[in-house]
Amino acid sequence: MIRIEGLNKRFGDHQVLTDINLHVEQGDIFGIVGHSGAGKTTLLHCLNGLESYEEGSVKVMGQEVRDLDDKGIKLLRRNMGMIFQHFSLMNRKNVWKNVAFPMEIWHMPKNQIRERVDELLELVGLPEKSHERVGNLSGGQKQRVGIARALALNPRILLCDEATSALDPRTTISILELLDDINKKLGLTIVLITHQMEVIKMICNKTVLLDQGVIAASGETEAQFLSPSPALQRLVQDEYAFIPDGVNIRLKFPRHIAKDAIITRMATDLGINFSIVGGRLERYRDHVLGYLIINVKSQDFQIVTDYLRNNELFWETVQDEQHPS
Amino acid sequence: MSNIQADLHALYDIMVTRIPGPTLETLYMVAVSTLLSLVLGMILAMVMVLTGPKGLRPIAPLYVVLDITVNVLRSFPFIILIIAIIPFTRWVVGTSIGSTATIVPLTIAAAPFVARIMEASLLEVDSGVVEAAKSFGAGNFQIITQVMLKEAMPAIVLNVAVVAINLVGYSAMAGAVGGGGLGDLAIMYGYNRYEMDTMLAAIIVLVLMVQGIQMLGNFFYRILK
Repeated sequence: MIRIEGLNKRFGDHQVLTDINLHVEQGDIFGIVGHSGAGKTTLLHCLNGLESYEEGSVKVMGQEVRDLDDKGIKLLRRNMGMIFQHFSLMNRKNVWKNVAFPMEIWHMPKNQIRERVDELLELVGLPEKSHERVGNLSGGQKQRVGIARALALNPRILLCDEATSALDPRTTISILELLDDINKKLGLTIVLITHQMEVIKMICNKTVLLDQGVIAASGETEAQFLSPSPALQRLVQDEYAFIPDGVNIRLKFPRHIAKDAIITRMATDLGINFSIVGGRLERYRDHVLGYLIINVKSQDFQIVTDYLRNNELFWETVQDEQHPS
Repeated sequence: MSNIQADLHALYDIMVTRIPGPTLETLYMVAVSTLLSLVLGMILAMVMVLTGPKGLRPIAPLYVVLDITVNVLRSFPFIILIIAIIPFTRWVVGTSIGSTATIVPLTIAAAPFVARIMEASLLEVDSGVVEAAKSFGAGNFQIITQVMLKEAMPAIVLNVAVVAINLVGYSAMAGAVGGGGLGDLAIMYGYNRYEMDTMLAAIIVLVLMVQGIQMLGNFFYRILK
């Protein structure tokens, strides 16, 4: 669907993107995560020609974006919807007219527009708001209108530019559920950029981590969180203070083990004691992943790690950053 | 009869005999030149928004030329502009005197002003909305006419009132080329002949006119907003 190879992008002397390679397949929910200023938005804009690029290749639905003329770009954009952090709706049009606008731009017949707008407002759950002024809507409702507008032209790809960053946590979840739903129902490929780890965990099947214009990590979201790269660890900082003595081990539970009582079993099997430093269960898309940090005595370290290896658990030792051992 | 009554009587006479003609002349000059300068200025503003440094299709040389032209025309004191473009005025309307002839310099003076404030209003439109329009394949012309103009409409209406009021002021100098109007009346009788009654009457009507235009502007602004 989208293939980027060796992409470089500069603004004057400033190198914004360096040697970007990624591949988005049909039906993916592809997350691009990173701090502000990491080049996420620029990368997204390269996909639909809102930004140009000097080096490398950006192929969207088989077409090299740079080689398209004005008309080609317009047709490409017709096939790629986009939603925005601040919704970017027209304040002087009501909900209905905002959703209808892309179709008016493309001179679609009036009766077809009417049918499609009603259908879309139904899909995003706002059928009763169609004559409401945009200014009277809540943030979540505005983003729903934004999604309806982005889907108006039946795009094959949906680009999300920090689409939930201006929303509260609960609204964020409801918008993400809607996106997930659309992805499943319509088979729409979604590329989303965000600085919120929660967003990635909740709906993305693949993720790249962008750090200062360079891809610092990429792959299946689940695998990335089970064995995080140093760059990802920096982004998801641990909030635990560690016990200074002994060794701290972070255990990670993939989906088939998460429900088992592995920890208590280890204690009885090995006949040792350890303290629990902290832990968390998290939802990744449709299932639960968890991690737990335990502290074992130095002399027990070997047998514990052997045990973990035999039980196919992911683990790593962690250090207290404030008090390195 | 008391003095006050006599004064009021004289003012009434002036209102009936001297005011109506110049009032109509002023209305005529202001209305037509507002309309024409809006058309001209709007076209200029749209080209500047399109070609400007952060525009939809930057063309630096064209923008620089327009930018300088607008500034130069706005620097001219209006009375000098009237005289300077007499040949042009004669070429356009066939004569260089009278109300109709005055409309030419009024339009030339107001159009760059319109261009500048309309450019500002159009650039005020949320860049995110413009980006959104681009993202679903709107063309530059569609973006300017259907997004920017539409979103900026309330501000534009207020600007039209500002322009019309400015033109009421400018039209006072129309007397220099026999254009007539209320401003001319006030200068001729009040300033040159010390006939305060006539000047007062002319000024009262001008104040009402300006007030009326502003109220109209605010009214439409509220409706559009």
